[in-house]
Amino acid sequence: MLFFIISAIGRFLNQDNSRDKDLLRRIAQKDPVALSLLYDQYNRLLFGLLVSILKKKTEAEDILQEVFSTIWEKADQFDPDRGTGYTWIVSLTRNKGIDRLRSKVYKEQKKQSTSLDNDDVYYPLYSSENNPLEDTILSDRADMVRNALQQISEKQRKVIEISYFSGLSQSEISEEYDIPLGTVKTRMRDGMMKLRDILSGAEQ
Amino acid sequence: MSTQDNALFEELCVGFVLNSISQEEEEEFKSLLNNATQEQEQLYQDMQSIASEMALLAYDQKPSESVKEQLLEMAWASVHARGGSANVHYLSRYRISAAAAVLFLVSSLGLFFFNQNLETDLETQKELVVQKENTIRILETEVEQKSELLAILEARDVDLILMDGLEVNPNGFGKVVWDKENGQALLQVANMPAVPTAKEYQLWFVINNQPFSAGVFAVNDPERDNFFKIQELNQSASQGAFAITLEPEGGSPQPTGDMYMLGAM
Repeated sequence: MLFFIISAIGRFLNQDNSRDKDLLRRIAQKDPVALSLLYDQYNRLLFGLLVSILKKKTEAEDILQEVFSTIWEKADQFDPDRGTGYTWIVSLTRNKGIDRLRSKVYKEQKKQSTSLDNDDVYYPLYSSENNPLEDTILSDRADMVRNALQQISEKQRKVIEISYFSGLSQSEISEEYDIPLGTVKTRMRDGMMKLRDILSGAEQ
Repeated sequence: MSTQDNALFEELCVGFVLNSISQEEEEEFKSLLNNATQEQEQLYQDMQSIASEMALLAYDQKPSESVKEQLLEMAWASVHARGGSANVHYLSRYRISAAAAVLFLVSSLGLFFFNQNLETDLETQKELVVQKENTIRILETEVEQKSELLAILEARDVDLILMDGLEVNPNGFGKVVWDKENGQALLQVANMPAVPTAKEYQLWFVINNQPFSAGVFAVNDPERDNFFKIQELNQSASQGAFAITLEPEGGSPQPTGDMYMLGAM
């Protein structure tokens, strides 16, 4: 049964990757329909990620639009030999979100509006329970990542989660949580290396 | 590459994909990546994949519709700004045209074959109608002939002359019903062989050894009795005989062929 699920996910991953590559190729040729399809596929996921980083929906929507505008302009820079389309898009989104988070203007705005902005509600780092993603395959993949995170130490998990979903740098984590910078780096590296082993099947 | 160098690569790689290292460290990592081994390249790609898969844990949230609207507005404006002739525009039109053409072709073929079937049916029905019309015409002719023959039989004063088969056709039998008043007669023959090609039977009225032609006829169906109307048989003689001979098609002025039947009044 497990083999069946894993192979099914693998098949769909390949299909997704193939479809993403095709859409990105069409976007590079300036096909707005392809952009619309790609947006429909990933907008909720990327928006959720941006909200977790920026904690403000209006900011997240701005960046989401910026992300897809960048995809529209730079789809020809996507190199299929260096990773999947999905990885490229998520990486681009996180970079944009974190750039905004670390910008001076944003930090100023955040200081002024933290207590006044009604949209600025508390968000946990990420969904620790089954996430009702509309796409079943994405939901299955999320379960795999969630299970893998549960298999690394809590200390390792914590620095990875804070870094990923709050967008804090290693230095900021060190300062905010009073952990030596070297320890933060080590925990992060060891945790991610272990996640790699678990997700590749080396520790199953 | 030493173990220490490899550990540094791993540390910077993880920090890089999580966007958690300083600007200087990022530059250092990019430099290392340019000279990375195949395993390190693979590690970098794996770490990127893990980082992107972690996005799946983010809350599933829906942005407002205006984001997509503005995005597509920008994209279409960009396409039009490039000359208003984006490939996709032509591609869409082309696809629509191609789909319409295929639809038209399929419909045309369907209608063509449907029409062919209809035409075939129509031809069949026409042939059937022609057959029926021929049958009706034959039946009408038969009815007309029977009516004429019946009219002769209904005459109050008729002479009946019986004819017997002769040597060439001993089983032959014939009968002449003669309506002298109207100059018409009914000829009935039975057991007469079908006429050969280019031949016809000829009926003669013989009086004082002088034959007068009463008309020619052909027997095509020897299995049944054949009836013929003799249109003009205006003779007032009360004695004489009827004879049937086989003559060339169209008849002869005088009997020349074998005599098949003979009967006296």
